[in-house]
Amino acid sequence: MTKSYYEFFCPVKIVAGNAALEHIPHELLTLAASRPMIITDKGVRGAGLIDHVLGAFAESGMDVVEIYDDVPPDSSTTVVTQIAKLYRDSGCDSIIAVGGGSVIDTSKGVNILVSEDGDDLTAFSGVGVLTKPLKPFFVVPTTAGTGSEVTLVAVIADPEQGVKLPFTSYFLLPNAAVLDPRMTLTLPAHITAMTAMDAMTHAVEAFTGMGKNPISDAYAVSAIKKISENLMQVLNTPDDADARLELAQASTMAGIAFSNSMVGLVHSLGHSLGALCHLPHGLCMNLFLPYVLEYNLAERGDVIGELLLPLAGAEVYARTPPAERGRAAINTLREIRDELYRRCKLPRSLSETGKVSRDQIQKLAEMALDDGSIIFNPVEVDLDDAISVLEKAW
Amino acid sequence: MKQLPQLNLGDFNIGSLNIGSLKRPYVALMMDVIGRGLEAASQVDSTIQREVQKLPDGFMFDMRALPSGPSLVMEKTADGNLSYIGSEAPRKPDMSLKFKHLNHAFLVVSFQEGTARALANDRILLDGEVAHAMKLVRCLNRMESLILPKFVAVRALKRYPQLSLKQKLSDGGKIYSRLAKNLVWG
Repeated sequence: MTKSYYEFFCPVKIVAGNAALEHIPHELLTLAASRPMIITDKGVRGAGLIDHVLGAFAESGMDVVEIYDDVPPDSSTTVVTQIAKLYRDSGCDSIIAVGGGSVIDTSKGVNILVSEDGDDLTAFSGVGVLTKPLKPFFVVPTTAGTGSEVTLVAVIADPEQGVKLPFTSYFLLPNAAVLDPRMTLTLPAHITAMTAMDAMTHAVEAFTGMGKNPISDAYAVSAIKKISENLMQVLNTPDDADARLELAQASTMAGIAFSNSMVGLVHSLGHSLGALCHLPHGLCMNLFLPYVLEYNLAERGDVIGELLLPLAGAEVYARTPPAERGRAAINTLREIRDELYRRCKLPRSLSETGKVSRDQIQKLAEMALDDGSIIFNPVEVDLDDAISVLEKAW
Repeated sequence: MKQLPQLNLGDFNIGSLNIGSLKRPYVALMMDVIGRGLEAASQVDSTIQREVQKLPDGFMFDMRALPSGPSLVMEKTADGNLSYIGSEAPRKPDMSLKFKHLNHAFLVVSFQEGTARALANDRILLDGEVAHAMKLVRCLNRMESLILPKFVAVRALKRYPQLSLKQKLSDGGKIYSRLAKNLVWG
C-alpha cells in the first residue's frame, strides 16, 4: 500500500561499534558539555557495565560527576525529581542514560526538569509542551530491544494521581545513541531472546502497518535481516561481539522504523497483557506476533510476504510462489519462536506463560481496544476480533 | 499523446479542486454537523452509548484545525450522553484532536481520509489520554457508518461494519431527525 503522505525524522547520532563508549567524551565536548551524570539501575551497575563507561572517560580529561544507580523497573515522577535535584546539586551539565527502557524514560524526564528548571514534571506532560532544546543527552542501551534510544516519547508514572504520564516531543530525542557490543555481551540468553523478538516485532509492525513509508521500510527490513541472521548465532556463542553488535544495531534500526511508522495490534495486545499479568514486554511481543500477522494476512498478504526475504533469505524467497510468501514468512517466525522456546522456554502461547487465566481474555481484549497502537493496525479490530486472536494465542 | 480526461465518480477527488475559499466554511459547517450528529448518536445508538459510558463524567474534548479553527467542542453530561457545546471550549479540554492544517481537517470531514489514516499520515496531533481518544474514534466511525451511504463511509473506514437494513434505517433515521431538529431549533 502506498501512502499519499508521510513524515520521517531521526536526528539521533548513532555512535556504534567497537570502543564506541570511548567516543562519548569527545561527543560531549562538541556539545559544550563536560560534567556528565550517569543514570542507571542496580542490575546494570551490578553487572559491571558502568565500569566500561567510566573506563571510557580515563585519559579523556573529563570525569563523570555523578552516578545515580537506583532507577526502579517502573519509574515515577518521584524518582525523576530526586535525580534532578542530585543533578543540580552536583553541577552536572549533561546526562548519560545507561540501561533499558525504564532508565531511558527516567533520564528523559530528568532532562526535562533540569533543562526547564522545573520541579513539577506533570506540567510538561503531553504533546509538544517542550519548546526548546534540552541538555546534552546520550543513551547507552544495555539491551537490544526497546529502541527507546531513538524515540521521542517517555512514559513516567505519577504515583500521586495514579496515572502514567506521557511525554512527546522532538526535544526528548537523545543527541546520540552509543551502541557498544560490551554493553550487551553478558545479557542472559532468555533476555537476549525476548528483547530481540521485541525489536523484531517493532520492525515487522512498522513494515506491515498503516504508517509504513519507504524510509522506515528500509530500516525495518534491515533490522529483520540482522535479527534473523544473528539471534541464533548470539545464543550459540554469547560472547560473539560482532553478532551482539548486529543485534544492537537491529534494535536501534527497528526503533527508528517504528517511531516513524508506529506499531499495531501485537503491541495493543502486548501492552494489555503486560499491564494485566505483569509479563515482560518482549515476551508479550514474541507471543502475539504470528497470531496477529495471521489476522492481518488476508488483507496484507502481499506486504507480509515481502518479509520472507529478510526472514528466510533469497533462496527461500525465490523458490516460494508469491501467493504463499505471506504464510511462509509467518511460518518462519513460528520456527524462530519454536527454537527460542526450545532454548530459553520463551512462551509461544498464553497458556505457556503459566500466568494468564482464560477468564482474563475478555478484559485483555477490552484493554487492547483502548491502546493507541490499535488504530495503526492495517485491519480494523473490534472486541470480537481481539477475543478471537487471543483465543488463538491461548 | 494527450490523455482524454475520464469521468470516474469513484475516484473523484474534491481535494484537487480549486475551492480554497470554500474550505473554511465547509469545515466549520461539517464540524457543527459532526458535533450535533455525535450528540444525537449518543442518544440513539447502543454501541456509541457503551463507549461513552466508559468516559469520565464531565469529560470534555475538542477537534480543531490549527491554528485558529474551525473547531467543535463536546462534553460528556451527567446523563451519560455527549453534548455538543459549540466551537469554543469554556476550559482547556481533557483531550484534543488537532489537525495540523485546515486542508487536513477538510480531507477528514469530507470523508476522503478516515481518522485512522489521518493519524497514520501524521496529519493530527493527539493531546490527552489515548484510551479516551480511541473510544471517541470508534464513536466517530460508528456514527459515520450509520448516517453515511456505504459508498461514502467505506472511504473513511478501515472496515464497514455489519449493519442490518433495520439498524441503518432506524438508528440512522433517528440520528438524522435529531440532527435536523438541532440544526433548525439550535
